[in-house]
Formats: sequence, structure tokens, C-alpha cells
Amino acid sequence: MGYVLREGFSGFKRAKLSTTISIITISISLLLLGTFAVIFANLHELADTLRREVQVEVFLLDDISVSQRNRINEQIGAQSGVDSISYISKDDAAEIFKEEFGEDIYSVLDFNPLPASFRVSLQPDYVHADSIATLASFIETLEGTESVQYRQSLLEMLTDRIQTVVAVSIGVGILLAISAIFLVSNTIRLTIYAKRKLIQTMKLVGATRGFIRKPFLLEGFVQGLCGGVLAAILIYIMLYFISNYFSEHLIVLGDYELYFYGAVLLTGSILGLLGSAVSIRRFLR
Amino acid sequence: MVSLSDVSVSYEKSRILENVNLTVHPGEFVFLVGRTGAGKSSLLKLLYMDVPPASGTITIGEYSSDTIRNRDVPYLRRTVGIIFQDMKLLEDRNVYDNVAFTLHVTGAKRKNIKQRVLRALADVGLSHKRSSMPHELSGGEQQRVGIARALVNEPWLLVADEPTGNLDPSTSGDILELLIKINNRGTAILMATHNYDLVRKTPAARILQIRDRQLVDVEMRKI
Repeated sequence: MGYVLREGFSGFKRAKLSTTISIITISISLLLLGTFAVIFANLHELADTLRREVQVEVFLLDDISVSQRNRINEQIGAQSGVDSISYISKDDAAEIFKEEFGEDIYSVLDFNPLPASFRVSLQPDYVHADSIATLASFIETLEGTESVQYRQSLLEMLTDRIQTVVAVSIGVGILLAISAIFLVSNTIRLTIYAKRKLIQTMKLVGATRGFIRKPFLLEGFVQGLCGGVLAAILIYIMLYFISNYFSEHLIVLGDYELYFYGAVLLTGSILGLLGSAVSIRRFLR
Repeated sequence: MVSLSDVSVSYEKSRILENVNLTVHPGEFVFLVGRTGAGKSSLLKLLYMDVPPASGTITIGEYSSDTIRNRDVPYLRRTVGIIFQDMKLLEDRNVYDNVAFTLHVTGAKRKNIKQRVLRALADVGLSHKRSSMPHELSGGEQQRVGIARALVNEPWLLVADEPTGNLDPSTSGDILELLIKINNRGTAILMATHNYDLVRKTPAARILQIRDRQLVDVEMRKI
């Protein structure tokens, strides 16, 4: 084991240039993948925010009793996908009117025509044109409701666009991952190709395949880890600058930050390890 | 003991060796001569199973080409020391590490490795060059490192493929003397060469020649 460790690490010293190129290649691949992941997370967050904006307004008849109102509240609350319900009384509605139009309703009319309503917020995953239509038609059947309103066209557009963005993102992510694997394994193959004489001599003096393979795998793993560290630092700096100088609204991964950087290191190590394992196989045949 | 029984070797559909028989006993010194391309290297490669026979059986100590599994080939090679015309030294490490490498491969203990490497380097007269890099050595010195590397595992057989092919006559003579010294300690040597002067300097050796894909015994006086 001591020999494997020494040999694995001395590979760095002996082939500085190719090792550096491998590390840079891995870090560029990870930088691309990581940046893409951040963009994807931001798009996802944006879609969630937009979905949260979608509310179902349930207008109530003027003459319903408090108990009837409470029953409607309970029945809506019992539906799946409902996140929260807020009650807007007639007076609240008049206040909102005043905020929106800058004029008191009573200065125009001598009574308040605005109905009381429930504003139903939904869980983001539940915000789809079909599911909301089902919910709306259920609410309309409840006694004491006058009408149900939601922004159907926005919702349909959102559902449609989000699906497209997710599909395109997954496609781009897969392409990026595949190109990263090819790029890394080809670069590592060059590193190992430079050592083909060493491998040949190892075979001739009686080294087993496992013995030859181990230092290369260790080297690939460490190269991947170094590439991961470099990529994590670059992504961190990039996000720091973007969030400080361009947009404060950019989500910087929040609670998942540690997991994200951990994933970058892990992906780098796995890329390096797999790249080495695939490349060394050719030279051991 | 080395034994080749009715062994044939083909390379890209052309036959190089045809029904060759050979026995090398422990402690023997055998020269393998023949013109360039006659198949000397191929015959030596058979012995460390770098080339498979097209037919026939090769027996090296306890290993037989009929029954050996791929994963056992490294263990066979550890019982045979191999010396190459182009030395095949590892350019990225010094003399000591080049020799020690063979022992690391076998999983030997570090302390044990140091002792054996220093002894092997003393045997070839290169103790003082242990920290030099291969490119800092002369051709003869490089070949001595190659010999030390082949010796360090204390093999019972040394296979040398034109070990003096790249060296001047004087250095070639020195290398031969070294091989004779090793042979006198009981190690069998099978050496391919086309340098007949060297062969003549070793009267005790057996001489085999590859001629028309066959292996024939040759008397010293006919060389």
C-alpha cells in the first residue's frame, strides 16, 4: 500500500505537465457542469416563485353566515395541494381596491360591491393547469361560493414553458456530462500513454495487473479531487461576484451550498477515477 | 529447467520457428545466434510468455504454456530475469529505484528491498551511481543497471536479448564478463547475440543457432 501511495503521488512530480493538463481539464468540465447546475437551480427556483404567485380566488356570496364561511374554508383546506388560505373580507377588498386604484370605493359608490373572498395559495408542485381546473370546479360546487377565479392563461403558459425549460436543461446537462467524461478520459489516456513504456516494463518484470493499476487509479482519483477543488473555488468566486455585483436575487444555493460543493468534489474524484480505470484497461491488455 | 517441446511460432501468418526443441539446465550458459530477423527475440519472448506458441509446449520451472493462466504470467516472470538490448530502464527514476522497482512489484518489504538492491548494484559495480538518473549514465552503465534489475530477484534463469547490441566492443566484453561471473554463481543464462567474438570468448558455453526456422547445435570451432 505504501508503494501504491508513493508511486501514485510521485506520478504528479514525474509528469507535471500532463498532470496539470488533466487537472485543468477536469476542473473546466466541472466548472461547466457546476455552472449549469447553478443555472438549473435558479430556473427551478424562479419557476417555483412564479408558481407561488398563482392563487385561486374564491368569491363568496354576500349573504353567507360565518359558519357557512368556515365550512367552505375547511372544505377547501382539506383538498390536496392547498398550501394556505387567507380570508379577504369585504372591507379588506375595499382596502385593496384603494391601494390598486388610489381611490376609495365609497367615493364612487355609496355601497361596497366587492365580495368577500378566500385567496388560496397552492403548493408549487401542484400548480398545473389541469389540477387547478379540477380544484376550481370542486370549489364552485360548494354552497355559498359565487365564483372562482385564477389566471388561467399565465398558468398554462407557465406549465408549458417550465416543461420546455426542464426538458432542454436535462438534455444540455446530459450532453455536458457525456462531454466531460470523454474529455477527462481522453486527457487521462494521454497521461497514461506517456507512461506506456513504464507499464510495459512493469509487466515484463512481473507486476500483476492490479499492482500496475492501483497507482494510476490513485493518481486519477487525486487529479479528479484537485480538479474538483479548483472548480469549486472558481464557482464560488463566480457566484460571489455575480451575486454582489450583478444580481442580489441570484440564489447562491442556500442550505444546499455545502452539498453542492461536496458534489463537485465527489464528481471530480469519480471522473478522475473512472477516466483512469477506462484508460489503463487499454494498456493492460 | 527450461524445456521447449515441438514449439512453433507464427507472426502475422508467417511461420518464424518450426517444431523447435530445447532444454536448458540449471547453471548452463547458452548462446542463441542467428541472423537478424531469424527469430531469436521471438524464442526468448516465449520463455517469459510475451509471445504465445502456435503449437507445442513450453515449460519454465513449474509453469507450462499448456496450463498457465493469464493471471499467473507475472509470477512466472518473477522467476526469470530479463535483460533487453534497449535496457528498458525507467527514465523517470534513478538507478536505485529502477532496480528496487522489480522488488516492489513482488511486494517485498522495504528494508529487505534496500539490502537486496544495494547488493545487486554492488554485483554490477554501480553502487556509487545509485542516485544517478539513467540519462546520466553511459550505455554500458545503463546495461549494468538492466542486469542488476534482472538479478535482484535472484532468478534461476537470465534471459538476455542482445544485451551488447548497442555497446562498443570493449564495453560489450565487460558486460559478457559480468554475465559469466553471474553464471559461475549458478544462474543459467540464455543469451541471444550476433556478436560472434563474444561467443568465442566463452568456451564453456553451448551454442544454438536458428537456421531456416529450426534450432540447431553449433560447435564453437565452426563459429
